[in-house]
Amino acid sequence: MAEITFDGVTKIFGDDIRAVDELSLHVADGEFMVLVGPSGCGKTTALRMLAGLEDITAGSLSIGGTVVNNVLPKDRDVAMVFQNYALYPHMTVAQNMGFALKIRGQSKGEVAKKVGEAAAILRLTDYLDRRPKALSGGQRQRVAMGRAIVRSPQAFLMDEPLSNLDAQLRVEMRLEIARIQRLLGVATVYVTHDQIEAMTMGDRVAVMRGGKLQQCDTPQDLYDHPKNDFVAGFMGSPPMNLLRANLESADAGVALVLGAQRLAIPSSYATSHHLPRVDGPGVVFGVRPEDVEVRDVSSADSLTTRVERREALGAEILVHLSLVDAEGDNAIVVNDSGAVVARPTMLVAKMGPRSGVSVGDHLQVRLNPEHFHFFDADSGLSLRRGA
Amino acid sequence: MSTTVTTPAAPAFAPKVRRMTLKRRRQFAGVVFALPAIALVVCFIGIPIGQAVYYSFTQWNGATSTWIGPSTWTQAFHNTNLWTALRNNGLLLLSVPFALALPLGIAVLLHQRVAGWRIFRSIYFLPTAISWVVLGLVAERFFAYQGTLNSIIHALGFSHVSTNMLGYQSEALIALGITFIFTMIGTNTMLFLTGLATLDPSLEEAARIDGAGRWRIFRSITLPHLSRFVQLAFVMTVIALFSALFSLIFVMTGGGPGYATTTMEFLIYETGFNQGDFGTAALYGLILFVITGIVGVVQLRLIGSNE
Amino acid sequence: MMAVLTPPTESEGRNEPPPLKKPPRKIGRWVLFGAMIVVAVVMLYPFFVMGVTSLKSESQFLSGGGFSWLSWSSLTSVIPVGQEVLSSTIVCSSSILIILCVGLPAGFAFSKLRFRMSTVVFLVIVSAMMVPLQAILMPEFVNVTKLGLTGGYTGAILVYAALGTPFSVFLFTTYFRGVPDELIEAGIVDGLGYFGALWRLVLPIAVPAIATVTVLQFIQIWDDLLVGLLFIQNTSDRPITVGLAVLAAGRTTSIPELMAGSIISALPAMLVYLGFQRYLVKGLTMGIDR
Repeated sequence: MAEITFDGVTKIFGDDIRAVDELSLHVADGEFMVLVGPSGCGKTTALRMLAGLEDITAGSLSIGGTVVNNVLPKDRDVAMVFQNYALYPHMTVAQNMGFALKIRGQSKGEVAKKVGEAAAILRLTDYLDRRPKALSGGQRQRVAMGRAIVRSPQAFLMDEPLSNLDAQLRVEMRLEIARIQRLLGVATVYVTHDQIEAMTMGDRVAVMRGGKLQQCDTPQDLYDHPKNDFVAGFMGSPPMNLLRANLESADAGVALVLGAQRLAIPSSYATSHHLPRVDGPGVVFGVRPEDVEVRDVSSADSLTTRVERREALGAEILVHLSLVDAEGDNAIVVNDSGAVVARPTMLVAKMGPRSGVSVGDHLQVRLNPEHFHFFDADSGLSLRRGA
Repeated sequence: MSTTVTTPAAPAFAPKVRRMTLKRRRQFAGVVFALPAIALVVCFIGIPIGQAVYYSFTQWNGATSTWIGPSTWTQAFHNTNLWTALRNNGLLLLSVPFALALPLGIAVLLHQRVAGWRIFRSIYFLPTAISWVVLGLVAERFFAYQGTLNSIIHALGFSHVSTNMLGYQSEALIALGITFIFTMIGTNTMLFLTGLATLDPSLEEAARIDGAGRWRIFRSITLPHLSRFVQLAFVMTVIALFSALFSLIFVMTGGGPGYATTTMEFLIYETGFNQGDFGTAALYGLILFVITGIVGVVQLRLIGSNE
Repeated sequence: MMAVLTPPTESEGRNEPPPLKKPPRKIGRWVLFGAMIVVAVVMLYPFFVMGVTSLKSESQFLSGGGFSWLSWSSLTSVIPVGQEVLSSTIVCSSSILIILCVGLPAGFAFSKLRFRMSTVVFLVIVSAMMVPLQAILMPEFVNVTKLGLTGGYTGAILVYAALGTPFSVFLFTTYFRGVPDELIEAGIVDGLGYFGALWRLVLPIAVPAIATVTVLQFIQIWDDLLVGLLFIQNTSDRPITVGLAVLAAGRTTSIPELMAGSIISALPAMLVYLGFQRYLVKGLTMGIDR
């Protein structure tokens, strides 16, 4: 059983830099776990502690049920794929892949057989006699993976392996890695800053920030039920629209104050969420771009916006909309010395590829009330009851 | 074609738990790997420095030493030979600017990449591979009374003029200086050439687009970039002046006439091995050490203030 | 008073950029070429002198003209050339071997295996580069003599090794700093210990640095006078450079013989340099880029 358990694992560099803060996480045998987060969130440090390349300051780390805090990397039986591949430049592909087996004393025949198998899986058989410098980036990446596969380890550790590949290759390799992992059924911890990789590859995804674990769930759960505004804004591209707004009383309950406009909040949210008091500190309101629907005509629940920018992506168009003010105007307000004094509230919406919109158009948008998110204005935590 | 992967039945996972963490292992390996180097340097360079300090206060002939005290130092500074040597080193320092400027010019020349420059580069560095002893011998031939220099002068028609460069003190120093410059051309040219090669060409192009002329570019872009290299060359040249010059003197003038061309490094040898006065030689050695140390520290300060 | 920002109008037409300098004219190229030839002539002068002078006999030299192989053949009767070249070779190779064996692991240690105070120790070793031998000559000589190592090669080899170690450590450390940490870490995760990493990973990729150190130290040691003069007392073990200097100091020697000896002394270092040229350029760049 090669399950991995982080129990309150902490890493402190120097006197005061908490790179990883009380991380508790469980990876089941055969599971593909993605650690994702912005630069400096601690994901790589956590991975390196798992590999044994960094010492653990506090907490305990177990692999296969055994605490491995003081176990050397070579005794942990984990294989690692590095961001820059770290291939041995003076060895051929075959030698690179067979190296770990060779130094453990396996016979030449055994080594050749295992290398051959891995090479077949990765389609590297034709390149076995080449040196790394004669390989393309994608091929080198596959060799790095091959080096990990031949060892039949307890776990695969991958540190942003796709970062150095061009976009197209990245898409290809995403599928490759996922396929191989399913084939081999080995527990995998995969570190990336790219939330698309996280969403598409992980069985479960752990979002980290500032050394702390924010949320660990399946990709869909992270997307639909983010536990705080950071996770909400991090997962999903383009990111969720997050607006700070006050609440005021309205006919059927409460409404959001958005500049000069008002957005009624369905009463169901009052039961499902811990909404703050009307005259209180306000709330962080979230709605995803795909839930911002552009309408032809205005309605009671629509907002008036002006198109500030459009980005045509081919398959869709992203429009950046500003909520207009009382005069129907929304120019950025500038004082006499040229400094910006006030900015309007912005929303990003997705539109179909052939929608004819131009900068300056006024659009009516309706926000889909089934997919509103509310977060505490101070802590950022989701206000959903039972979250 | 699908391949079946044979994964052996997973053995019970029971890793060895050691008390040593990776960090401690790394540090241990680091110390062990560095130890021979440290030992060698300490034994053959560090300890002798300390000993030199001790023995400088003694009367020492290599076998027995008798403690005298600080008076050895005051006596040493009364010794005219010391001052002659220091003065000679000082005068020879005047050759350093030339030993830097000439290679700089040559490096710029090579950097123009006119056809065949690589061959020329090899040629210019070739004398560096030759011992200073050999270069000294050739220089001796050149500057001697019956040597080449006089032949050239005579051939040019000045048959009544003859130099005896190695016979007179001031001329001998000039001869030494010229030879010294010659020996340093190879290394310094290579150094500056490397420096020029590391200069980003787009900086020069940007300057040209901005309207800068060639000389302006050289002054404002090339030279500042080379400052690190010039500093390194300066340190290396000065240190060579205080150490490697020995071979030239040994072969060209033997320190003479008298002590006229003796420098610090030669004085130490002469005092210790010709006169057998090890104590004073050790003392001179310390003075030399202080001088080169000061040069090094000054350089570090300059580099530090630049970055 | 608030003003509304209006988008900028089309920029006014700018002036044409000044024309780029034309490449040096043909004449300029020839001038440069000529200058390089002049410098080359000056730099090659010593070889010319040595060659021409050695191919005369003593009497021809003194009288001014002639061509003869005499001096070359009589050289061997004046100094044991073959023996001295052998001595130089032995001393050089042994010293360089020690310098490499000591410097390479240390370079690895200072660049990748940081331990407490490693930076300080590194700086101390590197600053030892600037200590001229003459400063510590007397104690050094006495120490080595007391250890009984001044007869044959051993004492000189150790001194050369100690003098060359700081530079070797400096070069290897700088070189290894350019090697990604991940490479070593991959080896660790694959199962190597640090000694295994040194032997199987670091050593193979250190070849250019090894070549650089070898060339530079070879030239340094082969051409050295002082250490060989003082630390190798047996005349039979004398290296060629020392033999040559002693010959010159004798002042009863024939100049052509001296020149012939000079050529023999200079040849090996020159060959080593020519053979390893490309590593030299690389090596110098390495030390500077930091």
